[in-house]
Amino acid sequence: MRWFVLRRLLLLVPAALGVLTLVFFLVHLVPGDPVDLMLGESASVADREDLRHALGLDQSLPRQYGRFMSGLFHGDLGESFFYREPVSRVIIERYPATVELAVLALIVALLIALPVGILAAARPYTLWDNGAVFFSLLGVSLPNFWLGPLLILVFALKLSWLPVSGREGFASVILPALTLGTGMAGILSRMIRGSLLEVMGEEYITAARSRGLPESVVWLRHALKNALIPVISLLGLQFGALLSGAIITEAIFSWPGVGQLLLSAISSRDYPLVQGCILVIAFTYLGVGLLADLLYAWADPRIHYGKSSA
Amino acid sequence: MGLAACSSPNPLQQGILVVGIEGNPTDLDPRTATDAYSNRIDSLVYNGLIRLGPKAEILPDLAQGYEIKDPLTYVFHLRKGVRFHQGKGFNARDVQYTLQSILDPKLGSTRASTFRVIQAIEAPDEDTVIFKLKEPYAALLNALTTGIVPVPDGRGKTGPPPGTGPFRLREFRRGEKVVLEANPDYFAGPPEIKQVVFRVIPNDTTRVMEIEKGGVNLLYNAVPPDLLPLLEADQKLQIVRAEGTSYSYLGLNLRDPVLSNLQVRKALALAIDRQAIIRDLLRGLARPASGVLAPSHWAYHGQVAQYAFDPARARRLLDEAGYPDPDGDGPEKRFVLSYKTSQDRLRIRIAEVIGKYLEAVGIGVEIRSYEWGTFFADIRNGNFQLFSLTWVGVTEPDIYHYVFHSRSLPPDGANRGGYANPGLDRLLEQGRRETDSEKRREVYARVQEIVAGDLPYISLWHNEEVAVLSREIRGFQVYPGGDLISLQQVRIGSSP
Repeated sequence: MRWFVLRRLLLLVPAALGVLTLVFFLVHLVPGDPVDLMLGESASVADREDLRHALGLDQSLPRQYGRFMSGLFHGDLGESFFYREPVSRVIIERYPATVELAVLALIVALLIALPVGILAAARPYTLWDNGAVFFSLLGVSLPNFWLGPLLILVFALKLSWLPVSGREGFASVILPALTLGTGMAGILSRMIRGSLLEVMGEEYITAARSRGLPESVVWLRHALKNALIPVISLLGLQFGALLSGAIITEAIFSWPGVGQLLLSAISSRDYPLVQGCILVIAFTYLGVGLLADLLYAWADPRIHYGKSSA
Repeated sequence: MGLAACSSPNPLQQGILVVGIEGNPTDLDPRTATDAYSNRIDSLVYNGLIRLGPKAEILPDLAQGYEIKDPLTYVFHLRKGVRFHQGKGFNARDVQYTLQSILDPKLGSTRASTFRVIQAIEAPDEDTVIFKLKEPYAALLNALTTGIVPVPDGRGKTGPPPGTGPFRLREFRRGEKVVLEANPDYFAGPPEIKQVVFRVIPNDTTRVMEIEKGGVNLLYNAVPPDLLPLLEADQKLQIVRAEGTSYSYLGLNLRDPVLSNLQVRKALALAIDRQAIIRDLLRGLARPASGVLAPSHWAYHGQVAQYAFDPARARRLLDEAGYPDPDGDGPEKRFVLSYKTSQDRLRIRIAEVIGKYLEAVGIGVEIRSYEWGTFFADIRNGNFQLFSLTWVGVTEPDIYHYVFHSRSLPPDGANRGGYANPGLDRLLEQGRRETDSEKRREVYARVQEIVAGDLPYISLWHNEEVAVLSREIRGFQVYPGGDLISLQQVRIGSSP
């Protein structure tokens, strides 16, 4: 197991370097000049050149790339053009909000998807199952830019239970987490149902039942654990996406997360900040992927990450 | 489920006023701030040597008065007894430091180019500053609204420097909010409200719901026209409207063989029903413009060529210009123009409506909307036929030099359409040198006449300033360009 983790961690390095190299050249290829966007139009040619020099944008692209990579190996992501602060500091300020929202959205999604998925699998092709299909279709089809304002209208304006937007205390995370979690729950509940039905047809379940184990133990201890394996990989992907920022939901709820930061960095051509955000997102994805793989081993003892299997 | 966040008493009654802003203030240092939100917040934290009144007139601020000894020498007499927020006294060396640091390329200030005209800044005593200029530059005064910061005390503190303004910075949570608190030692007397909180709320609908709920107390030019009727009906809110200083226009590329023809440009101007667009798309929240300066501006001149909606005359002009309609009302066009705009929803709808008006006189229009950075790069590079944009917060008539002088081609200025008129160039140079405001007014009256006749831009409208605020707020006044300086004198009354 230790070898597996170490190898995966080492693999992070070339993967992140590849992503960063791609992003570096892509953002520089996009039309639009950060100096124009920073200085506005009233600046003279001399001021433009001064700023271009100060930001290092007057150097050739390969040279800028070299400087960026050497900074990276020294743990320096550079300074944001617009915030005039180290990129790492700007991102660290925003990352906790993103993690908070992602974790809560995941909890909401699981709280909805697990019972709905189990219920649908336990009573397949009945009214319960059809109801669950309807619910999951609804969850997947309702766009966040519609569901978010609707939830605000009901819970903040009509009922006055929760704040409209912002990040002040636990109450403020509930509506954005519900908005994000509902969509995820729709997909997850279908996956849990399908996976459970498949597992329930396996011989070891028949064996467990014939040993006289109570139905609840058969379902929760024997079936669910195995059924969760494909669910975990989907969960990992979705959680990774949430951690890289939910741009629309963050905008609706004025949630100060990484998604909004990346969006504004791209539109203002803040190259160092775009690169920093992408680096964090790439590592987040890779990290969550690793976590999902480790969870496989827990869910399915047949999966073994020992030295010999590597 | 009665959660604490919602049962708390109305913050307004505790003297806390929350302002909703659409975007993120990125840099609050007044020397380097570039975005509109930072500038708006800075107007409450910092004072310039002078400030602008509601008609863009020059008023004293940190300078009690000034003398123009000759066109190259400006003497400012500073206010005494002013203190920065951290306690240090304000004096002439702070003015000297602020401007010198702006001119230092290392700071990368957007304002450097405006002050390049300064030869030397002298501080003969604590309360006097003398500016020596390289050449006469009447627009200098307008630029001296820039906030003054103290000479650093060497303690190397991070974050924006302290100011002298009615509010001081208490908290800056990027992407989330900026909290200002009243400065009890403000030289013009402390403000009545205790705190101003600027909350970043990027979504239009959310901003409107926040002010309906009372989570936000003031939205300034931050409500789309189609959502305003909803708020007008709300008894808890009041709406303050005033003539604005922003100027929306249709930019034309005069290097284009079709658009270089004055008759074609006149036809375009006559073909667009601006009144109808203002009424239907902007819900009446704008006034038709005849030039860059708004009617309330001290240098405004209204006796210029006007282009009221007249499609029949537009068709005649196009025929005379040598562009007959090949098949009358049929699908074929006289010529086709591309119209570039940003991805803003309202901007795209305006482009579509203008396109329909031009099609009605036989001109084909291809609308292309781009992400802002790409759009702006195309405009600057002269890669367009038509585009629409807005100049925001126009206060200094020297903008005509910047936009229409033949030497102001990008990157030296914003003459993106390649317009050139030697007679106008001479007047613009004269206007820049002239320090007598009455003579300047005359020069710019002539400038406005020439530009309206030559049509390098088609003037569209001046957007109104619209503030939506809680009814308990008393004494709020609208200033040009979304300036919130009147928050220093507002009071909180009782709920209606």
